[in-house]
Amino acid sequence: MNSLKKRRELGLFQALIIGLGGAIGIEVFVLLNVAIRQAGYTIVLVLLVCGLVNLLTMLSFSELGAAVPEVGGEYSYAKAAFGGFLAFLTGWLRWISNVFGAALAAIGFSLHVLLLAQTSLSPLDQSLLVAFLSVSVIAALAALSIRGTKQIGTTIVVAFIAVFLVFIAAGIWRGLEPRPFLPTDLKQSSGFITAITYSFLMFLGMRAIASGSATLKNPGKNIPRAIVLSAIMLIVLYSGIAYVTISTVSLEELANPDVLPLTLAAEKALGKVGGYVLTVAGVVAALSSLSTSMMVQSSIARGLSRDGYFPKFLLSTHKRFGTAHLAIIFGSVFYILFAATGVVEFIGSVAVFASLLGFALVNFSLLRLRMKKPYMQRPFRVPLYPYTPIAGIALSFILLLFIDPSAFSLGIAFIGLGVLAYYLRMVGHQRIRIAFGGMSLGIGFSIALLTYLIEIGFLLPLSIHQQFRIAVIYVLVVASTVSILAGALNIMSKI
Amino acid sequence: MKFKRIAVTFFGIVQEIMGVLAVVFAYILYYNVLEVRANLGLLPENVSIYLLLLFVFGFVSFINGLFLFYQRLENGGSSVS
Repeated sequence: MNSLKKRRELGLFQALIIGLGGAIGIEVFVLLNVAIRQAGYTIVLVLLVCGLVNLLTMLSFSELGAAVPEVGGEYSYAKAAFGGFLAFLTGWLRWISNVFGAALAAIGFSLHVLLLAQTSLSPLDQSLLVAFLSVSVIAALAALSIRGTKQIGTTIVVAFIAVFLVFIAAGIWRGLEPRPFLPTDLKQSSGFITAITYSFLMFLGMRAIASGSATLKNPGKNIPRAIVLSAIMLIVLYSGIAYVTISTVSLEELANPDVLPLTLAAEKALGKVGGYVLTVAGVVAALSSLSTSMMVQSSIARGLSRDGYFPKFLLSTHKRFGTAHLAIIFGSVFYILFAATGVVEFIGSVAVFASLLGFALVNFSLLRLRMKKPYMQRPFRVPLYPYTPIAGIALSFILLLFIDPSAFSLGIAFIGLGVLAYYLRMVGHQRIRIAFGGMSLGIGFSIALLTYLIEIGFLLPLSIHQQFRIAVIYVLVVASTVSILAGALNIMSKI
Repeated sequence: MKFKRIAVTFFGIVQEIMGVLAVVFAYILYYNVLEVRANLGLLPENVSIYLLLLFVFGFVSFINGLFLFYQRLENGGSSVS
């Protein structure tokens, strides 16, 4: 990862815009709906707790961002603190979180586009088609040139905030129903914590302030102010949106999975135009989030590739446009694959799983760096150290317990893949290759023995149709021959 | 050398396809598509062991094929900046 020496020229306002811009995206349009369904009327408290939990780790991000001003974010912090496996794991988790974040954006895009355009396709086909098209178009744009996408960022943030403020004002004008804030029974308490995990991604983008800390004037003062102000503004904004939604939409309507509560609430508060504007805002947010995730994903993939964990071909740049086209296409295959599931809750949960583990590792990095390099220059220091990072770690692990089990399992499987990739690099590509060559050779000989046993009638019963028996034998002979020859080729490769 | 390069590419691709087909066949077996269990005379209580064997075979084949294909990519792949 390259060191960057940038001029400190951005003030508090710009830092605030960076934080809000990073956080406000498609997550508000899709995950807030899921969180409202889970939490019901307690959603406002959910958002308050979620904002505060995020704030704890954002402070750690800020200290590390100012002390280690290098490209790579969490990966660079963990590399400075631990190096080795934990640094790789942090980068790997960030990559997973971005891939699933992009898949979520593609699903969000399809949900909102399908609201605008009524077609005769089945809902599943529609989702698949739109998710595929959105990823392909954005990937093509990003692979050809990314200049335009950066310039429209601030405008989009301001437009989103304006749309949300009009929505909240219209809801207040219409008259809000008083709702209970606190969970009343155990079932509601469980939904309350699950809703925190879904809302988590809505605040995550605040870390952009820490990433941009190298360019901030007076980081010791501006970083904590920008972080705290962003968190407060986001809590107020999201709570306002959520409160207007639960005041406007009934519990029966919320329970309907085909309804997007935010859009329905906008229709009720502002008429058809309101619903239309919010849907268009959802489409823009999805494209913006998809584009950002794509750029971040390609940057992490290239970083991991440069350090030998990902294939080297990802470092290739387009001859004409100078973009990381192969890294973008590589990530896009995964976006389409996961977006094709069309399940917001599942995809969102995997992204949260990776982000929560990443948060814990960032806090661990802070603790380690404070012990390892106590005299390191730190323009900003986390208040109430060591309680703040320890609380951040504890809360991350507590929230992990409430992640959807299937998403949790997939997250663990991805970590397993990461460990395999790391092991490949450490043990050496060549040795693993020879090991797999040996396994293939062994399997090939086993299949040959199996074929012989079938041929003499020892394994497959003689009662089965003769044509089936011959077909099975042919398939096994081909499998055995290919396995033996391919295994031998891998074993005989140059050491 | 040219013969070896062709062999590496060919067996790499064939083995990857075999790996994928093994996993596809495991799914066919699991869902008993076209009464495949009865046609092959497989007992339902043994299906799980066949699935395990097919998945192991599919995984090893795919990874082994990937190593061969990766060698082809590294030797004749695109330029790296």
